[in-house]
Amino acid sequence: MTHSTTDWDALAHRARWQRQARTAAITLFLVAVSIPIILPYFWMVMIAFTARTGGAEADTLWTACAVLVPITIGYAVAYQMLSGRARLAAAGLALALAIALLFVFLGDALHVNNFRFLVNPNVVEELRGKATAGAQFPWVWSAFFNSLVLATVQMLIVVAVSTMAAYYLSRFHFMGRAAFLQSLLILQAFPAITLVIPIFLIVYWVGLLNTLTAPILVITTLELPFFIFIMKGFFDAVPWDTEMSALTDGATRRQAFRMVVLPQVTTGMIAIGVFAFIKGWEEYVFVTGLRTGNSYWVMSTYLYYVREDVMGVDYGLVAAVSVMYVLPSLILYLFAQKYLTQMTLGGVKG
Amino acid sequence: MAEIELRNLSKAWDASVAVDGIDLTLADGEFAAILGPSGCGKSTTLFMLSGVYTPTGGEIRFDGAVVNDVEPRDRNVGIVFQSYALYPNMSVLQNILFPLRFKQVDDADKRAREMAELVQITPLLDRRPSQLSGGQQQRVALARALVKRPNLLLLDEPLSNLDATLRLTMRAEIRRIVTELGVTTILVTHDQLEATTMADRVICMNAGRIEQTGSAEDLYLRPDTLFVAGFIGSPPMNLLAVDPSAAGLRLDVDGPVTLGLRPELLRAAETGVPATVSHVEPMGRETLYTAQSELGQVRFLEPTARPNWAFGDMLKLAFDPADTLLFAPDGQRVPDAHATWKDLAHA
Ligand SMILES: Nc1ncnc2c1ncn2[C@@H]1O[C@H](COP(=O)(O)OP(=O)(O)OP(=O)(O)O)[C@@H](O)[C@H]1O
Ligand SMILES: [Mg+2]
Repeated sequence: MTHSTTDWDALAHRARWQRQARTAAITLFLVAVSIPIILPYFWMVMIAFTARTGGAEADTLWTACAVLVPITIGYAVAYQMLSGRARLAAAGLALALAIALLFVFLGDALHVNNFRFLVNPNVVEELRGKATAGAQFPWVWSAFFNSLVLATVQMLIVVAVSTMAAYYLSRFHFMGRAAFLQSLLILQAFPAITLVIPIFLIVYWVGLLNTLTAPILVITTLELPFFIFIMKGFFDAVPWDTEMSALTDGATRRQAFRMVVLPQVTTGMIAIGVFAFIKGWEEYVFVTGLRTGNSYWVMSTYLYYVREDVMGVDYGLVAAVSVMYVLPSLILYLFAQKYLTQMTLGGVKG
Repeated sequence: MAEIELRNLSKAWDASVAVDGIDLTLADGEFAAILGPSGCGKSTTLFMLSGVYTPTGGEIRFDGAVVNDVEPRDRNVGIVFQSYALYPNMSVLQNILFPLRFKQVDDADKRAREMAELVQITPLLDRRPSQLSGGQQQRVALARALVKRPNLLLLDEPLSNLDATLRLTMRAEIRRIVTELGVTTILVTHDQLEATTMADRVICMNAGRIEQTGSAEDLYLRPDTLFVAGFIGSPPMNLLAVDPSAAGLRLDVDGPVTLGLRPELLRAAETGVPATVSHVEPMGRETLYTAQSELGQVRFLEPTARPNWAFGDMLKLAFDPADTLLFAPDGQRVPDAHATWKDLAHA
């Protein structure tokens, strides 16, 4: 018992110091590993706004990196230290600073000419002439609209079906429930691409080939097992008691579900909705696989053929299309970030 | 507002039997308390009464009509769950209003606020349940259960999270509200004092069965079974396995029995069972002693704050034969049978 000789101040000081050192080390490590991931995106954006016919200037890219990387790291550090509204302010400040500095250093190089495809329906043809596959190219907005329909409809089906199925799986005991749950997981073990040919045949027989409905149904079906499983986790986390309480309070089972259970799993619904949307937005395999000509275009196929056709001629156009392609999912991620991070916890807090 | 009758009510799960054939009748407006160890089927019984669990056997009758198949929403039962079960997505006020959303009530808001006033949570009405302490949540749950003026009120350990003072107030408050509304009430509790102070009748359950129902005094002084004898009372009753052949003890029955004797009914005296004090526990108002006696280890209570005896002291313990209880090997009490210690026979 050396109770009077303990130097509490020294111990506290050491603990504080260690905590700070650890946080700093982790932050540094994360920033370091994320640079190779973020850099291509910076370049993509920079190429889209600077490249002129013929290709991108390496100098511009390095200059841009010299501006953007420090700002990003600075923002990451600020994000760690700030909270709430201050974070938002920091983000705005970083963005403004980045744009301002880019203008200062690269002023003349910046232009929006690469985005002319947004207003000109025939960009590719102008570039390569009518002889190419580009002769059948649609206007980008038609592909964009199709992608939007595909992703949205698919998302709505996924959210509705997996919410109801997961509720049932979580709450009711029926024959074959355990087997059903196991098969949900086993389904995930097969790479979807192995199914392309059989699915093509089914779609052909059903008569849905070359329609948007086909990829919507196929992607939805393939994704449902996983999302049902995720949603079941959310429902499992909702205490039985609140539901029983609602029933005794006078609600029907359906009312209890709608008024008491559903509001407790909205986080999960938003999370799987975002993932389903992005899955549909980026889908390539089953949109190219289930059409025989150029019957419909979505963003992924559009980008693919633009790259095929004009690569080497106009990097800037490819990069600009890429920026447009990335933007919606990026915005969605930013808004839903809060919910997505909760998904891994598999539950909700009151 | 309803007479409740349970007939041979049972609930079996896949692997176990939670409630194993209970019979019980509650008069209209009666206040009963269920006492029993953890896992004995108290909550399950309440859930069957409220309708969220379907019985696997037996009948539930409200005012004589079998309600086994009546939906929970049509039973007009108010229940306070052990876990409170507040709706996390609603404010406190919305929680209390919730039951009224399914009824045609004109003054819903006024009624909810009155209820909140009654359980003293008016300042908290705009908060979310997650922003409340355990005791505050319990009171919200109580208000929510009462606001619809139920026919039957079920309280599953509603006061377990309150501090001592608030618990006293709430006991009286619940009793008052319940009497005022005249609602038939069942209170589940672990706290014997709560059961005995609040309820007209105490029901002691064990392993899915009712061991005994009666007044608090019945259960305390005349337990029907060994289980009730051991479960009711703190410090618990001395339960000593004795043999008719044991020297010094005279029993009214033949064969091995269990002798039950309350610690406060044993006292140090000139004559009696020789014993040696092995442990002294001052309990504030009184002192509890453990002693090794010729009958085995016994506990006795003396109403003095300062201990009269110390470790190792030898003394004699006397008791009144009328205070003794004898339990047959099957756990049932042998009526009107007592034990006498030889020295005391003449006393
Ligand atoms: N949904 C269920 N499935 C299977 N067994 C259950 C279920 N609910 C309760 N049981 C079992 O039924 C028995 C009685 O449970 P119950 O909740 O009624 O106990 P209790 O008397 O309320 O206990 P406590 O005082 O701890 O709340 C327990 O053995 C429990 O394990
Ligand atoms: Mg219980």
